[in-house]
Amino acid sequence: MTDDTDQTRTDGSGPNIVPPDDETPTWHERKERSEGLSRVTYEYFERGRLEDQRLRQDSDYIERDVLGFPTWPHETIRNLSIASFFVGIIIALSATLPPHFGDEADPSVTPEIIVPDWYLYPAFGLLQLDPINPELALLGGEKLMSDELYGIAATTVVIGVLFIYPFVNKGSARRPIEEPFWAAVGMGGLMFGFTISVLSIDQIVADRMPGLTAPLIFDLTLLLPLVTAFITYAVLKAMQEGYMYELNRRYYRLRPPR
Amino acid sequence: MADEFIKGLAIFSGAGLVWMVLAAWFRTPTFEDEQLFGPDPEDPTLLVEIALAIADVMFWFAIIGALTFWVAIPLGRELYGYWNERADE
Repeated sequence: MTDDTDQTRTDGSGPNIVPPDDETPTWHERKERSEGLSRVTYEYFERGRLEDQRLRQDSDYIERDVLGFPTWPHETIRNLSIASFFVGIIIALSATLPPHFGDEADPSVTPEIIVPDWYLYPAFGLLQLDPINPELALLGGEKLMSDELYGIAATTVVIGVLFIYPFVNKGSARRPIEEPFWAAVGMGGLMFGFTISVLSIDQIVADRMPGLTAPLIFDLTLLLPLVTAFITYAVLKAMQEGYMYELNRRYYRLRPPR
Repeated sequence: MADEFIKGLAIFSGAGLVWMVLAAWFRTPTFEDEQLFGPDPEDPTLLVEIALAIADVMFWFAIIGALTFWVAIPLGRELYGYWNERADE
């Protein structure tokens, strides 16, 4: 009975036994984390947690509760539930609503109005910019380009601007309020996309909306984007001060100044 | 906040779905003209009348219910917090 002290006893006590504490996983937990899907899930959670910790340590920005979510299970289950929601609505509506049977199309009759599909309206509208194709006095009142070529040149300019944009406005994502100028450029571009679409069907719009004429629509096409950009810039610039104040207040609430 | 959003969304989509189905059954004479808001059917049976009443109730429930949870309750909480902050200062 003298060597009792340096050997493990059958009741679980002894020198080589480490008493379990909160950090020690139970047998159930060990088995749960070492097999199959539960192991994969655990490793994903752990990887997400480690990534979170790393980002937190490297971050010199405001501390947040959560910096990133793992794809499984958070994002996958969220996306699955959103997808089933919409698929369910589509199935329910298609099962209950009466089907639509329109009149047969008559291939021998040309429709009165021919317009492209709606998503081609902006490109169609850019071909109708002939009122601003300048007649040059140098050429004796002649136009330098035909109206058709002018429209194609305008399309090239717009596509070129869209192409160059990411190379000009570089860097990480910012909120509109942090960069009012670029937000104004974006809002003006959106408005131009809308007004140039309306221009492509200006006759139809002018017929249906009293008070709108085709020349007025043309003027608005060029003016409204500028007005939109101006208003956006003014509003964001005015909001900026209060926004920075709120941001600083939240920042110092999280990290009191020393 | 997320709770209020999902309550509003559930009311909006559920009630809207019921309204859309009933309106498509009874208030859509043709898909080439006015849809969902067309005229009521002439001399409706009792069941059709009940369905039309439910459609009306669901339409306003979808709008007012969503507005309640997305606008009214958050606005009330904001105001409450604002007045509390005011009182503290």
